[in-house]
Amino acid sequence: MRNSFHNLHHILRRLVVAMGLLIVGSVLFAAEELTESPIAIVVHKDTPVENLSLDELRSIFLADQQFWSNRTRITLLVRAPQSDERTFVLDRIYQMSEAQFRHYWIAKMFRAEVPRGPKIVFSTGMALDLVVAIPGSISFTRADAVTDNVKVVRINGLLPDEDGYPLK
Amino acid sequence: MNRPLRYQLFTLLFAISCVTTAHGQDATSSETAYVPMGPEFHVMGFGDISYISKDGSNADGFTVGQVVAHLSASLGDSFGVFGEFSSTARDSGYATGVERLIVKYDYSDQFKLSAGRYHTPIGYWNSGFHHGAWLQTTVSRPEMVKFGSKIVPIHFVGILLEGLIPSGALGLNYKVGLGNGRHSNIAAAGDTGDINSDKAWMVQLNSKSRRFYGLNVGLGFYNDEIPLADGTDVLENTFSAHAVWAKESPEIVFEYLHSTHELLTDSSISGNVDAWYAQVAYRLPGRHSQWKPYVRFEQNRVDDSDPLLGAEALNFDSGVVGVRWDFNPYATLKAEYRNEKFDDGIRENNFRLQISFVLTKM
Repeated sequence: MRNSFHNLHHILRRLVVAMGLLIVGSVLFAAEELTESPIAIVVHKDTPVENLSLDELRSIFLADQQFWSNRTRITLLVRAPQSDERTFVLDRIYQMSEAQFRHYWIAKMFRAEVPRGPKIVFSTGMALDLVVAIPGSISFTRADAVTDNVKVVRINGLLPDEDGYPLK
Repeated sequence: MNRPLRYQLFTLLFAISCVTTAHGQDATSSETAYVPMGPEFHVMGFGDISYISKDGSNADGFTVGQVVAHLSASLGDSFGVFGEFSSTARDSGYATGVERLIVKYDYSDQFKLSAGRYHTPIGYWNSGFHHGAWLQTTVSRPEMVKFGSKIVPIHFVGILLEGLIPSGALGLNYKVGLGNGRHSNIAAAGDTGDINSDKAWMVQLNSKSRRFYGLNVGLGFYNDEIPLADGTDVLENTFSAHAVWAKESPEIVFEYLHSTHELLTDSSISGNVDAWYAQVAYRLPGRHSQWKPYVRFEQNRVDDSDPLLGAEALNFDSGVVGVRWDFNPYATLKAEYRNEKFDDGIRENNFRLQISFVLTKM
């Protein structure tokens, strides 16, 4: 009886250790995958844009440019706080902290320069679904999550999988 | 209850009911995404409470600053309405007011036409920060653009055309406005109509450089004819320039204004106004990033011979040093020491402590 209990305890301990390793491994793998996957800029399929310079992209994300060339209003979809994609975009495109980003949009709305702030999305799937659904919308997502029903915009003439792509 | 008080209470209740109604529909400024099906409403509120201590004064104490409600409605892709309503503490009670009310049609990035009551697009500060103390780094506005300023016509009522100018990395944009000029009370706008047939007009050209992200420079011109109490008219021409580095480490704001006022019936009676301020702030790095120390220097000079402002005692010098502590994402505490010299030559020291906040779900 005592041996059986000891064996069970031993097996359980191994299981816990194995599960722990599995979880840690999954997290590390996911993090590795995210950092290795560049950020793709995606737009609604009908949007008349194929390529943007990084400065033009920043102008759109700052809502200094609010219309596409066909006069469709740009709808900016931004991931909710604490997502890795949002952190990356705030750092590389906005060059702002979370507090500065919030302050920027509150001031922008208060100056009556924009009718509304960016729309918040909570997952990659939600971002992609809404880019498909809203004409003129633009968002960002991990390049390996992009689906066929959205258009990936070249940045500085480059696609996410090409050398020199600026959002890696 | 006397009629003005009743009217003020009615206005305030109406504003609150508008806020409540809009809030009930959608109170988020940066809302959860959805496919738009109709009008969208957004609400924000600003407020501040200060403690002011002046040397040689027994009037030290707490003040309630302006309480401001900002409403915006997007009525489709191109049409929107913005409103800014304030309630300001006065000795006689609270005064409510419409600070801005703008109806705007966006045809494209190049052409955005609006009508309403604005903060006059002269220089940078006046149309950059409005009535929300939380938005500006310092406790108060520079003297030249303070609310009630006679140097800059703070508000104007009319129409405004604005937009981007295709200019690549220069990032040029323009504003062209036409509206009622100054009221007979020269610190006020002509809300109920102009006091003469000559409309005020203004042009502003700005550059938000794409290459030097954070740099904003601009030039502006404002023209008006203002009737004096004796029936003569004064021609006002104002030239403004500003240069701003909008990032916070450092943040640099410099603004200069030069006005000429000339009696139309006798051009030998004229005078100049020169006003400027320079403000530098620095958001501290790392774990001290909630702190942002700042300094500001300002000077206003008005010729005694100026037919419009010469008798208004507007000469002013000031040095300000302070620190802003963003202890909460939506609230900040500012401590500021000011040394000011007024037109009568008296120098005054004062200390201000202000807590300001924004109410929004962004």
